[in-house]
Amino acid sequence: MRIGMPHMGNIFIPFKAMFQRLGVDYIMPPVNNQRTLSLGVKHSPEGLCIPFKLTLGNLIEAAELGADTLLMIGGYGICRLGYYAKVQEQILHDLGYDVEMIQLGVSERKFFGLLKMIKRLSNNAPWTKIVPAIRFGLAKSNALDRIERVVQKVRAVEQVKGTANRLLAKAVKAIDQADDYNTLNKVRMDYIDQINQINKDGQTQPLIVGITGEIYVLLEPFSNLDVESELGKLGVETRRTLFLSEWTKFSFFLNSLGLNEKARIHKAALPYLKRDVGGDGWESVGEKVLYAKEYDGLIHLAPFTCMPEIIAQNIMPATKENIPVLTILCDEQMAKPGMLTRLEAFVDLMEWKRRAQKNH
Amino acid sequence: MKTYLGIDVGSVTTKFAVLDENNELVTNIYLPTQGKPIEMVQQGLKQIKQQLSNGADICGVATTGSARYLAGVIVGADLVKNEITSQAVAALQYIPQVQTVIEIGGQDSKIIIIRDGIVTDFGMNTVCAAGTGSFLDHQALRLNMNIEELSRRALDSQTPVRIAGRCTVFAESDMVHKQQMGHRTEDILYGLCQALVRNYLNNVGMGKDIQPPIVFQGGVAFNQAIVKALREELNNEIIVPPHHEVMGAIGAALLVHEEMVNSQNGSKFKGFEVSEIKYHTSSFECKACPNLCEIAQLSINGQVLAQWGGRCDLWERSQSR
Repeated sequence: MRIGMPHMGNIFIPFKAMFQRLGVDYIMPPVNNQRTLSLGVKHSPEGLCIPFKLTLGNLIEAAELGADTLLMIGGYGICRLGYYAKVQEQILHDLGYDVEMIQLGVSERKFFGLLKMIKRLSNNAPWTKIVPAIRFGLAKSNALDRIERVVQKVRAVEQVKGTANRLLAKAVKAIDQADDYNTLNKVRMDYIDQINQINKDGQTQPLIVGITGEIYVLLEPFSNLDVESELGKLGVETRRTLFLSEWTKFSFFLNSLGLNEKARIHKAALPYLKRDVGGDGWESVGEKVLYAKEYDGLIHLAPFTCMPEIIAQNIMPATKENIPVLTILCDEQMAKPGMLTRLEAFVDLMEWKRRAQKNH
Repeated sequence: MKTYLGIDVGSVTTKFAVLDENNELVTNIYLPTQGKPIEMVQQGLKQIKQQLSNGADICGVATTGSARYLAGVIVGADLVKNEITSQAVAALQYIPQVQTVIEIGGQDSKIIIIRDGIVTDFGMNTVCAAGTGSFLDHQALRLNMNIEELSRRALDSQTPVRIAGRCTVFAESDMVHKQQMGHRTEDILYGLCQALVRNYLNNVGMGKDIQPPIVFQGGVAFNQAIVKALREELNNEIIVPPHHEVMGAIGAALLVHEEMVNSQNGSKFKGFEVSEIKYHTSSFECKACPNLCEIAQLSINGQVLAQWGGRCDLWERSQSR
């Protein structure tokens, strides 16, 4: 049994760490690239969203490299995601790949589902081995996210644009290669230091933009044309509403204990949307309400044809908590020049607004 | 005389505007881009040189429009600005109370919402070019008339025909169908204009708070039938400013004027000689990673001036200007 799985940002790093510690045979497909996208688009129904197409491309590439057991997120809910693993399995079979799909449920009892899945993948490894493996994976995820938070700040004010991003790429590699806690901690602190020491433009007070929307396009820069780096080049600091480590911490562990980080966001959305609409739509509305006072603007990332985010997009302009929102629809047709035009105009808009507030 | 030059290189037309120190329009030029942005920028510069009096001195240049970066490298721009901001700034110059700017160009259309003199929201067509100038051009060509005639005849309509305007392909088949049914051409043409306006308001204008005064800019504002259809649909006066077709260029010139007044440095304008230089454009596939990005480059005599088009900044960085 050789395991393969799709990408979503850096999610492959904690999984790799876990697999290595458990002696699971695995193969990671190449990180998202043009070929992945072309493969995914070619074999997907046209109206499906970019997360489906890219993950399908990953799974095909994993199968090409010899993976016979593929992991994919699944479960039920109002969004189409619930069917994705099944449909992708069918497509892979039609393409002639003899693969088995294992669904990782995100709907309920996730924690036990995850444990059960890992138990099975590791060929019944003892719990005393599984639990530390998961812990180490999570430690890597935490380290990655802590570095990225620093990068988001520095990118906006660095003198030589692109420096923080190059260090981030190196850090990701080093974290991936770290095989014990000592190395991991050292790598994390080293890179945070290095990134903090980048020469900065001390004069400017950067604009702060919140990034909200659907989880996949938020976490996978390939699918959003690296919108956060582009904003960094324009001198804008980004604050993403979602990080992998936090999401995992809550949805796999704390939620099972009855602690729900989403309660606060849902409460904020209540005057405008009273129920879950699938995906992350309810959260998008709630986050607009919550961050209206905090940030200069909000970028709302949504996959094209994503029903939950379309609902959110149409509710957002109506809230009385006012903040400029730019919705960016991500799909394979999206072109960088068009996105840059909108980003530049959005930055101008926020700067005007800030200047007007100062003069009052 | 100190003057400021704005150049708006769009997909279909290239516009130039020269302003004096009081932001009065000295001269403007409107050329078809014809897929040759570099040649058109050079040709426009040549014409401006002829039109400007000898005493005029260009103290700042800004470029805008979809080829703003390319044009910026060629002329040596002091400012490269997106077309949304440029259009908004120009509208505010002429109609300071403006609350809504409708701009319909060759390939894209925008809406800009302004309150108390600052932009609060904007929208741009995303997935479809339905409702832009190119489609009207195409239909005029198909009916064997020029765009001016289309506009004039559409205004003669008495009972406009309802045309499905959600998609240009369907709009076209619907038009053919209505022609075969024997409807008057005038009624079909105005029906088409109404369909384009509905399409614009349902897509670009969706969820936007459209309040008067409403200013209509861009090349399509030449078309009186579209102006009429907009007025009827929005139930409001539609203001078409005198130089509506070069507003992007005017906005860019206004912005660079402000920029240069606040700056210590002189203009980076390369001079009118630029129109004599032979530029060479080429492209190649970057092999640094599996993305295989198509990188476009601009050069003079084998010396690379600029490279762009990659997903990452590998090539843009190597220019290190």
